[in-house]
Order: sequence, then structure tokens, then C-alpha cells
Amino acid sequence: MQHDNGLTVSLQPHTSGPHLLVVAGDLDHHTTPRLRAALEEVKFGPDADLVIDLSGLTFCDSTGIATLVAAHQRAADAGAALFLAGLDADIARVFQIMGLDQLLSFYDSPEEAVRALSE
Amino acid sequence: MPLTSAPEASRLAAVRRYAALETASGAALDRVAGLAARIFHAPFATVTIVGDDTVHAIAAHGLPPRRGLVESLCAAAVRHGGPYVVHDALLDPQAAGDPAVRGEPGIRFFAAALITTPDGEALGSVNVMDVRPREAGDEELDCLRDLAGLVMDELEVRLATHRTVEIERELRAGAERLARTLQRTLLPPVLPRVPGLRAAAAYHPVSADEVGGDFYDLFPLDGDRWGFFLGDVCGKGADAAALTSLVRYTLRAAAVYDADPHAVLANLDAVLQQEHAGGEAPVPYCTAVFGVLQPDDDGFGVTLATGGHPPALAVRANGLVEPIHPAGGQLIGILRDPHFAQVSARLNAGDALLLYTDGLTEARTPTGSMLDEDGLTAYLAAARPTSADALLTTVHDLITALGKGVSDDTAILALSVPPATRTPSSGSLGAA
Repeated sequence: MQHDNGLTVSLQPHTSGPHLLVVAGDLDHHTTPRLRAALEEVKFGPDADLVIDLSGLTFCDSTGIATLVAAHQRAADAGAALFLAGLDADIARVFQIMGLDQLLSFYDSPEEAVRALSE
Repeated sequence: MPLTSAPEASRLAAVRRYAALETASGAALDRVAGLAARIFHAPFATVTIVGDDTVHAIAAHGLPPRRGLVESLCAAAVRHGGPYVVHDALLDPQAAGDPAVRGEPGIRFFAAALITTPDGEALGSVNVMDVRPREAGDEELDCLRDLAGLVMDELEVRLATHRTVEIERELRAGAERLARTLQRTLLPPVLPRVPGLRAAAAYHPVSADEVGGDFYDLFPLDGDRWGFFLGDVCGKGADAAALTSLVRYTLRAAAVYDADPHAVLANLDAVLQQEHAGGEAPVPYCTAVFGVLQPDDDGFGVTLATGGHPPALAVRANGLVEPIHPAGGQLIGILRDPHFAQVSARLNAGDALLLYTDGLTEARTPTGSMLDEDGLTAYLAAARPTSADALLTTVHDLITALGKGVSDDTAILALSVPPATRTPSSGSLGAA
């Protein structure tokens, strides 16, 4: 697996439906502040849920996990849902061992997550 | 043996302080010798350091004689304490008989300027030698003094560099010592002897100078019960080390208060949550397995609780490898209302139990995939280790085979119940 240490985070414009945050690259203690900053931009609310597209995520360390957990708590406080989409099988396995699957819902693709939210 | 006078002792101390002088030489100093010779239109020049009983030439021009008279002239220049000139060696009763004066190359003239440290100690001199008797002009002697000053500057720079390297080396050694000491405080040095149980543990660091957050312990509880744990604090370095200490002592203390594994992990969670209340995000957390061993007739009852940690694996006497893993245990210290799961099992005669940190299961196999619990299970099933020590060796072999695929530290705790041994009944012995 190649780790290029780069991380791109982009928040897609919110027209209708949930916010969509696309995260690609390595999520480690160098790059996680970028994700944290992007998450702070998100205004959660009962009708403002968030889907994080992690299909381009190549690596996730403890700071990345802690940041996702913190985002989930902020969303829950605001009555919003936070769904993860497109997680790599190995990373999903690690999340599952940590019991995070009970907290964060995993979907194969952002489209599926959006569909699940609209149901 | 001549006694060394106090000023000479102080001078020799200065020579020793420039310890780098032992190897000091090089183009810059040779150039100084070359310039000295050119300024005097003389065939020979040297740069010498006068030690206890040796005169050491650290640079030379024109293959000058280095022994005998030349040595004593250099030493005399240092003793003299200022510019030192011999106009004609043949007129000097002591020098006249020297082979370098009487024979080849026929030294007649000698002039020296002292190399003096900033605190006034003469280390040696820059010397010029000629084969004809002559006077030394003021201008020439001034230049020789400047050249000696240049040599001193050069030696100062070398000493400073030498010291910087030494300090750097000491700091590095100190940091490595500290890391190793911290590491030792995080891991119990020796596991206690538990009647009827074999226990073995190992720590496989990826890097020798970075402290990881893996921890384990095995310790007595009330009655004949024993507690054990193994876990991993996220992160590396000093912060992780401090948190690891807190986790270890909290687990030990919580077990004294209430040894129920679920309660122990809940207590640890409460302590970690308080530790970081209102702190900067992201909050550090840990994963852990905590267990209680209760001996019975021919083995141990085991109660295990887990918080976000990979499954403990039992290697049964019949070779079967199976997880002892309560489903659903979550990360410790970071979640709201976390769930810690608990399960009970037995370790019978011949059974072994492996606890490990995720450095092992998250290692990459040569195909690039994660080893995972399945890969570890398959490896153990093939190796069939039958004791705690054999289990440790098996995992060691696996980590060695994975090589660079292992990217995180791994801690291992292995427990085993020795196989049952058939003992003759006391009845038949008594009848004999």
C-alpha cells in the first residue's frame, strides 16, 4: 500500500439532502487537523445530516479515529446523523474491532448512505 | 621524574582540552606552514604542539627535521613565552652538536611564534627553519605571530565543533536511556509465578528509540484469583508513555476495588474521560483486554472483558484455535456511554491463551493484505504451540517472517495450563 501522506478534504455544496464531505489520502496526526477544520465548518441540525465519503481513504490512525468520534458526538448533539461511506475493508475491520460500527453507520457508497438517510 | 610546575600543569591541561589536536591536521594547517616558509623565504616550516614529553608536528612544509634539536627548540619556544629566535645554531653550544645542524639538512636559523589560547596558555608554536644564519625582521615576526593566531582560531573552531558533536551524542544517549527506562516502567520486568499456570510475555518494538503505548501485567487478586491485562494506548512518545502509566495503575487499583472485568474497564473509562475533560481534541484513548483467572481442579476459569481490543485466541490442547472474545466491546476513554463486553471460558490442561496488540494483526503479509485475526489463527493452528513459551516463540517467528510488514509495536502475553500428567494412585503405591 502506498502512503503519500497527502490528504484532501472537500465539502460538497449543500443544496438539498445531507452535507457530503469527501476525504481522500492518509489520515494521520499530520493531516487530521485539516479534517477537523473541515468538520468544524459543517452546521449540523435535525435536517442537516453528514455523509463522509471515505472511499479514497488509504490510512487512518488514532487521531483520525478520535476526530471521527468527536464529529459523531457533535452531530448527535444537534440531532443529526453521521454516516460513513466507501470504507476500505481493512479499515472497516479495525473500526469494527474498536466497536465503532455500533456508533457510526457504514455504507458501501455515498449514494447508498444518502438513500438510507432519505428513507 | 621531573615535577611538573603549576603553570606547566595548567598549560598541559589546556593541551589536553584541545583533545581534538590528537588528530588535528589537514590542508588549512599545512597552508599556514607553507605561508610561514614563504614569508621567511625559508625551506622549512612546522606547526607543533608541545605535550607532556612529546612535541607533535600537526603540519609541515618542506620535509623539515622533526626530532632532536627541533623538538627541544619548539619546547624552548613554549617555555620562553614569546617570539623565539635562534640566529645561528652553530654559535649555540647546545645546538651545535646536533646532527640536523652539523649534518643534513644543516639547520642554522630557527624562529617560532606561540600558539596561545584565549586564556593565555601556550599550546605550541608555528616554526620556521633555514639552512643559513640570519636575522629575523620585525615584519616577518609579526606575520609569524599572525599565522600562529590563525592556527589558534582554527583549533578553537575544531574544539567547538568537537564539543558540539560530543554534546549532541550525550543528549542522544540520554534520550535513548530515558526511553528505555520509561519502557521498562511500562512493562512488568518479570511475570509472577502462578501455581498451575505458565505465563510468558514479550514486547516487539518497531523502533528502538520511540516509546510505544503497549502494556500488560499479571498480578495476584484476593484469594487464589489472578488478574491480567494487555492493551494499547493510542499514540507514541512521551504523552503516550504518561497515559500508559496512568492506564496500568488504574487497572491495578480498579481490580483491587472490584475485580469484575467489566467493572474494571468501566472504571478505567471513567478515569480516562476525567483526565481529558475539557482538553484539546482529539482525545487519546486506549483498547484493552482485562481478565480474571480462577483456578479449579485441572485448569482455570477465565472471565474476560474487552474494550475495542482484538480477540484473545485460545490454542486448545487438541490444536483447535478459537477466539475468546465477547462481541461489541468499545474503545476506552473516548466514547459516551461505551459498552464493554464480558465472556467466561475455561483453560483446561494443555490449553494456551494468547493476548496481543494490533501491531500483530494489522501487519501486512507479503501479498499486501492485513494479517488480521484469520491469518494469525491459521498460523497458530499450523504451528500448534502447546505452552506459553512455545506460543511466544511462534509469534516471534511470525513477526520475524512478516519483517517490514509490521509497522507498529506488538506486546504479547501468553498463558498456558501444563498438560495433565498421569500420576500413580496412592492406593497401589501403598500396597507395594
